[in-house]
Amino acid sequence: MNGRVTQEHALAKVLVDDVSVRFDGTLALDHLSLAVGRSEFVSIVGPSGSGKSTLFNVVSGLQRPTSGRVLLDGRDVTGETGHVGYMLQKDLLVPWRTVVDNIVLGAALTRGATRRDREEAAALATRYGLGEFLHHYPHALSGGMRQRVALMRTLALHTDVLLLDEPFGALDSQTRLDMQLWLLSVYEDLEVTILFVTHDVDEAILLADRVAVLSERPGRILADLPIPLERPRDLDVLTSAEFTELKREVLRLLHDRAPAVAP
Amino acid sequence: MSGIPPFVRRAVGRVVLALLAVGLIVGVWNLVIVAFGLKPYALPTPQSAVSAIVHRWSTYQSLTLQTIEETAYGFGIGAGIGFLLGVLMSASKTVQRLVYPALITSQAVPIVAIAAPLAILFGFGLLPKLVIVAWIVFFPVVVNVLDGLAHVDRDLVNLARVMGAKRVRAFLAIHLPATLSPLFSGLKIGATYAVTGAVIGEWMASAQQGLGTYLQTANASLDTEGVFGATILLTAIGVASFLLMVAAETVATPWRTRSTARRGPRSLLRAALGSSPDISRRKGARRWFGSLPGAALRGSRSQSPPPPR
Repeated sequence: MNGRVTQEHALAKVLVDDVSVRFDGTLALDHLSLAVGRSEFVSIVGPSGSGKSTLFNVVSGLQRPTSGRVLLDGRDVTGETGHVGYMLQKDLLVPWRTVVDNIVLGAALTRGATRRDREEAAALATRYGLGEFLHHYPHALSGGMRQRVALMRTLALHTDVLLLDEPFGALDSQTRLDMQLWLLSVYEDLEVTILFVTHDVDEAILLADRVAVLSERPGRILADLPIPLERPRDLDVLTSAEFTELKREVLRLLHDRAPAVAP
Repeated sequence: MSGIPPFVRRAVGRVVLALLAVGLIVGVWNLVIVAFGLKPYALPTPQSAVSAIVHRWSTYQSLTLQTIEETAYGFGIGAGIGFLLGVLMSASKTVQRLVYPALITSQAVPIVAIAAPLAILFGFGLLPKLVIVAWIVFFPVVVNVLDGLAHVDRDLVNLARVMGAKRVRAFLAIHLPATLSPLFSGLKIGATYAVTGAVIGEWMASAQQGLGTYLQTANASLDTEGVFGATILLTAIGVASFLLMVAAETVATPWRTRSTARRGPRSLLRAALGSSPDISRRKGARRWFGSLPGAALRGSRSQSPPPPR
């Protein structure tokens, strides 16, 4: 019944402890446990429908698990929202708020955005190349810029855990690569803990310290692969022998264990 | 010609087209009179109807003001009630299931039929007319507000929850602005119907003269010029109400027509930060990252952020 919390796990930033989720008789997550260290970047890959988004909904508190717990810094936050930053493939920018007003959305929704919040947002946007678009509405921005604003909004929540659910999935490959390199630089700047869901094995390896491979539904962790590539990372990593070896390993894990995955 | 800014040219183009449309109506009207050999007492020309307005303006003026007053107040009351009802009904499914059938029934009742009892209830002053106008106006507003609130992006609502949003703040920042476009659709429909409501109100319950009552007496005395004069004025009130709503919508929903926010107090911030990115990068960003709980600058990569795409 009780989760198997080891000494090591008790020190984790995020601990998903023996979580199961059942929807109307379908098991989406099956006794899944995952420990993420402070300032660690963990990519989660798995076949479609393996419950990756369900896992994020549980960690963010949107979905209460059928059994199991979620601990943040050792504190039980199961079913509680407001503790982590969450970003989806859909940028979900609010159309009637400008770039700055979108970035301060978290503050606006909780305590009211102050002048200081706006200044921070403007500084953040300026720092990451959106200085000329502070007062633009989202519809006037390109897809890449919109995702960048969405990530800044997530950063501006000042939570030290970020859940990114295929944030670059809808972008063209050139823009996606730019965004991946940008996220690497943001991550290397900040001490944040990131959980990153993706279908893209290259993306998973390029960004993460560890790659967790999920099984088909019901989702379980099949393998947890450390990515010992040195940081800071850049484009050259993608063509290194080490990278190729890791990619072969992840693909083998995904493919061997999920032969029935739809094309 | 090239010195004229494009938005002025667009505006002129639209006015020209609108005038053409009016010209078309006047043309067809005249054509019908000539083609069927209609006598002026059956159908006066638009020119004589307009000249009747000009010659009788001293009479028409107070009538028009009276009808505008009924229309405007009734519209305000109806729109307000409609909006509040929409919000309340969206807040509770039970309230919605309880109230919706009553709303539909209220609109199925022929308004002319209940106008007379309303006069008995509320007398012959302004009140029964306001009730009738509001009765007509509130329905499209409720339906559209309800629709708007029901179609707020669920993912966005979930995102607000993850952010720990307070209910009232989420309503003001996300739900309310999302209803603005559907709200204005309802208001535009309501604004054009409101005039009809005022006329029905005047027919059924009037001690005071408005364009509607004038229409009735002019009709009874075969004063067709007077009838069409009043009709043109009523139409003008309806069109003006609609245009007023279009203008209000443009002002209230700037993100639909503009790519940047209007310059306001925040443009100061923009001037301070936007025009001197180097300073803000050095000072503002450092301060910001310093204020992140448990965050610190690591490494030197931050000196060269990638260029914007």
